[in-house]
Amino acid sequence: MSIACEFDYRKPKTLSKAIKLLAKRGRDARVLAGGTDLVGWLRDSLVAPDLLVDIKGFEELKGIGFKNRALVLGALATFSDVLESELVAQHFPLLREMAGMVASNGVRNRATVVGNICSAVPCCDAGPVLQVYNAVVHVRGPNGKRRVPIGQWFLGPRKTAIRPGEIVTSVTVPLPAKKAAGCFVKLKRYRGEDLAQASVAVLAFSGREYRLAFGAVAPIAVRGPRTEALLKGQKLSAGLLEEAGKLAVEEIVPITDIRSTKEYRSLMVEVMVRRALKTAAARLAGRGPAYGINVMEEDTP
Amino acid sequence: MKFVGQSATRIDEREKVTGAAPYADDLDFGPNLLHAEIVESPHAHAIIKKIDVSRARKVPGVVKVVTGKDFPYTFGLYMQDRFIFARDRVRFVGEQVAAVIARDPVTAKRAARLVKVTYEPLPFVLDLKEALKEDALLVHPDLKNYGHCAWFFPVPDTNIAHWRKTRKGDIEAGFREADTVLEDTYTVPRYAHCAIEPHVIVGQCDLSGRLTLWSSSQSPHTQRHVFAAALAPLGLKHQDIRVITPYVGGGFGGKAGVSMEIIAAALALAVKGAPVKVRWTREQEFYNTYQRQGVIARIKMGVKKDGSITAIEHTLHWDAGAYVEYGANVVNAVGLSATGPYRVPNVKIDSVCVYTNLPPGGPYRGFGYSEFMFGLESHINRIAKMIGLDPVEFRRRNAIREGDTLPYGAHMNPCALVDAIDKTAAEIEWGKKEEAAAPNKVIGKGFACFWKAPAMPPNAASAAFLKFSEDGSVNISVSGMEIGQGYLTVMAQIAAEVLTVPPEKIRVETPDTDRNAYEWQTVGSHVTWGCGNAVKAAAEEARAKMIEVVHRVHGFAKEDLYLEDERVKCRAKPDFALAFKDFVINGIQTPRGNFLGGPILASGMFMPEFTSATGDPETSQGGHPNVHYTVGAAGIVLEVDKETGKMRVRKVVLAVDVGQAINPDLVKGQVVGGMLQGLATALYEDIRYSPAGKLLNPNFTDYKIPTALDLPDAIVPIIIETPQPDGPFGARGVGEHTMIPSAPIVANAIEDATGLRIKSLPLTAEKVALELRGIRYDDVKGETMGLCFMGDPQKYAFFAKSKA
Repeated sequence: MSIACEFDYRKPKTLSKAIKLLAKRGRDARVLAGGTDLVGWLRDSLVAPDLLVDIKGFEELKGIGFKNRALVLGALATFSDVLESELVAQHFPLLREMAGMVASNGVRNRATVVGNICSAVPCCDAGPVLQVYNAVVHVRGPNGKRRVPIGQWFLGPRKTAIRPGEIVTSVTVPLPAKKAAGCFVKLKRYRGEDLAQASVAVLAFSGREYRLAFGAVAPIAVRGPRTEALLKGQKLSAGLLEEAGKLAVEEIVPITDIRSTKEYRSLMVEVMVRRALKTAAARLAGRGPAYGINVMEEDTP
Repeated sequence: MKFVGQSATRIDEREKVTGAAPYADDLDFGPNLLHAEIVESPHAHAIIKKIDVSRARKVPGVVKVVTGKDFPYTFGLYMQDRFIFARDRVRFVGEQVAAVIARDPVTAKRAARLVKVTYEPLPFVLDLKEALKEDALLVHPDLKNYGHCAWFFPVPDTNIAHWRKTRKGDIEAGFREADTVLEDTYTVPRYAHCAIEPHVIVGQCDLSGRLTLWSSSQSPHTQRHVFAAALAPLGLKHQDIRVITPYVGGGFGGKAGVSMEIIAAALALAVKGAPVKVRWTREQEFYNTYQRQGVIARIKMGVKKDGSITAIEHTLHWDAGAYVEYGANVVNAVGLSATGPYRVPNVKIDSVCVYTNLPPGGPYRGFGYSEFMFGLESHINRIAKMIGLDPVEFRRRNAIREGDTLPYGAHMNPCALVDAIDKTAAEIEWGKKEEAAAPNKVIGKGFACFWKAPAMPPNAASAAFLKFSEDGSVNISVSGMEIGQGYLTVMAQIAAEVLTVPPEKIRVETPDTDRNAYEWQTVGSHVTWGCGNAVKAAAEEARAKMIEVVHRVHGFAKEDLYLEDERVKCRAKPDFALAFKDFVINGIQTPRGNFLGGPILASGMFMPEFTSATGDPETSQGGHPNVHYTVGAAGIVLEVDKETGKMRVRKVVLAVDVGQAINPDLVKGQVVGGMLQGLATALYEDIRYSPAGKLLNPNFTDYKIPTALDLPDAIVPIIIETPQPDGPFGARGVGEHTMIPSAPIVANAIEDATGLRIKSLPLTAEKVALELRGIRYDDVKGETMGLCFMGDPQKYAFFAKSKA
């Protein structure tokens, strides 16, 4: 594989040096972590930066931790790290379910969760799940640190709230205050690795409270506030599920592209919302299917 | 038999499993290896006004920049319509216009971007109905001047590169005789081969003018032949060209003939002395080798109440792309066989090869049969339903049998199609309705038959050399290609059976045209049959020579001598046994102390001397174009989620009459692999072009081939063996066949499960879900183009109906 554009490559010794370098070079510089998006874009000449700043070595960006009742996903935490984390498996199973549906083993071993939301393509898998968890993006730049709620992070396809010279250091995912269970559903063209044609994340809390978010059916990963309001405090009857599915479709703006028609996306979001709600509620009640199955493919008990 | 019919371990297994097996890109050419980057057309059709290479040439590390001016020659296997580099005009997006040769790939890529090509864009034709209009824009205005094989019939000053007409019986009388007639249109888009190994070739012209190519190819000798023809103006002859082909990482027809390889042959001449590598990216693999051609087909079929077919009129318009040098022969093959494996007294087939400004079409496993069998086998289920006959019983009643008259007048070879139908039906429990566990799911069953013959020139030949070593082991040198199918092992088994030497003591090498015996190409599922015959002949010659020398020394009657357990034995003297290793190199010592004999060497060859391509162009009657057909049947148990359209293959069964399975495990491998490849074309693969003719998904991100997760729950191969009289130990071809019925079994199962009849491929979950809700996929699919025409297939005008 060869890359046509010429660029400088730097691997600073410290994070502050990296930030200084990024601040100096502004939009001409790109951060390199897993590189699973960036290197492909370079090869296809979709981006032409002057400088790549490699952050792979920084210890403070590595790993998954727990602090102030929140999961801390360092900027270098890969999807495989998420899958292997006991902490995630125990307290954030929805995050784990999503990570298991990202691409393939090889990609998951390199691709970072933070990179996924920095690339911010409409079909990014982490988006809807971080949305329902009310995650927070932690950014450091030449002017210090700031926190961006995930709801304000995505601005458009491949556009985020990051500013030139800034770097995302971590994403924190607050531990749900109440007992919760979730379901991530990804519509794919086959069982193998695929980008989402559509995705739905549901987080159900005891007390009949629900959060929903959608991927690949709007310019960014979006929550479904009207559907959430409809469901609040209600028992999930067949009629209500039906209604919720239909309302969810009103909260999305799918387009037709090479992966799906907007008609199929809409129809499937309706089905996905029903199945995800049902599965999440069953899991909350302690009788749902194990995390990790794709309810678009498998029968659920 | 001791070795034939056994699932012998592949002789290349250890090498491949350990990673020791070399492929073209693995070969080390040292630090002087040069790398080429291709400058490609961004237009579907344009005049090349000017090519400015001055900036590219100045980049340090660039050795040479080559354009069409340097090699103003055409090439092609069956029709000389393809250019080494586009000259005056480009005809598809991605066509090679120039090449930059540099010391490393990055420099080549950077410099290639500095080649400035000035184009004058022209109108283009992507759509068959545009291409066939009265005043259509011509993709090849010079068509009438192109050289081509004797069995092609281009129509000058049109986009019709070839039109195969087959006429048998009286078609109108056939329809009058029918109690029920059904006519409908089916469409199949283009597909890509998706071999794991992309095309790669290294060319080197030494300072004496000797051109050697290391090529990832199914066709070393045919490549040499095509290179020699194309480069003849530069003084090159066959004896100056040598093609070496190491292992190939998947061919499926995509590495047959010559496509991108011509570039390396030319570039090597441009930089004499140094080797130069041309290595396709995955994207180029999709758009600048061959693609399976798209087709729109109209079928009119008449049947009597008892189910017997009275007539088939089959009109097929093929989107063959910008160059048809190989693809037109796919069109030809279908034109001879588009009745399917049935007894049809009255036949009218028009198979029309049409130029468009899309990437070149060409050979792909199945060679057109998958494409036409989708419509035909769908149609048969529908017409059977109309007359109230079970579709399996309908196929039984019409199944072709040995001696039946083929569409072109010759007679059918031995086959047991009815047996294949019955065994398949039993295995899928045809007629037994199955219930899905989930309320949103339904289960349907689908059934289809298939047939296919190799499409070969009438004088396509195979040859083999065989020799012994001191330890009694054997070397066989042939030029068929090991493309994963197990060919080397099968050749070893055939020789083993004759010589009584176990296959693991037989080395069969990949080809080098200087040293190995001739083989036309490894295509058409014919090498086991054709080359197998040559190897068998060589082994028999070696056996005769061994017996001769024992006879000379010991005086035993030749008819008493035979081979067993790597020894020559004698029926008249049971205690005599002479091990091969004791005489196959240095002969046998006589009582006088001298030696008789010497190294045992043998050769064998095979050419089907009974074939001819001399059929009447208006009817195809009179020739014998096909050597034999392999037939079979397949069935599927398919679960459909009515909410999502998603399908799961619960079980798929395929019965095929292979004559004799030389190696049953390898036949089963063909069934599994072919079925998966076919199911992918039915369920997942979905090619898309922009309205400007640019391929939008030349990658596995958006062009989906199955992964291990997408395997059917069960695949059941059924091997039937009705010997082929002219095949080695009775074997006939099997390879392509196993993917042919995949699409129609799925379409028929969807109909059985849901009542929905879909008449266009692919049968994606999306299409099924939408159509189940009454939404026509074509109405919502957007402006990307998968099929070779826009608009409603039902309104497509098959002009061929009115003419002829």
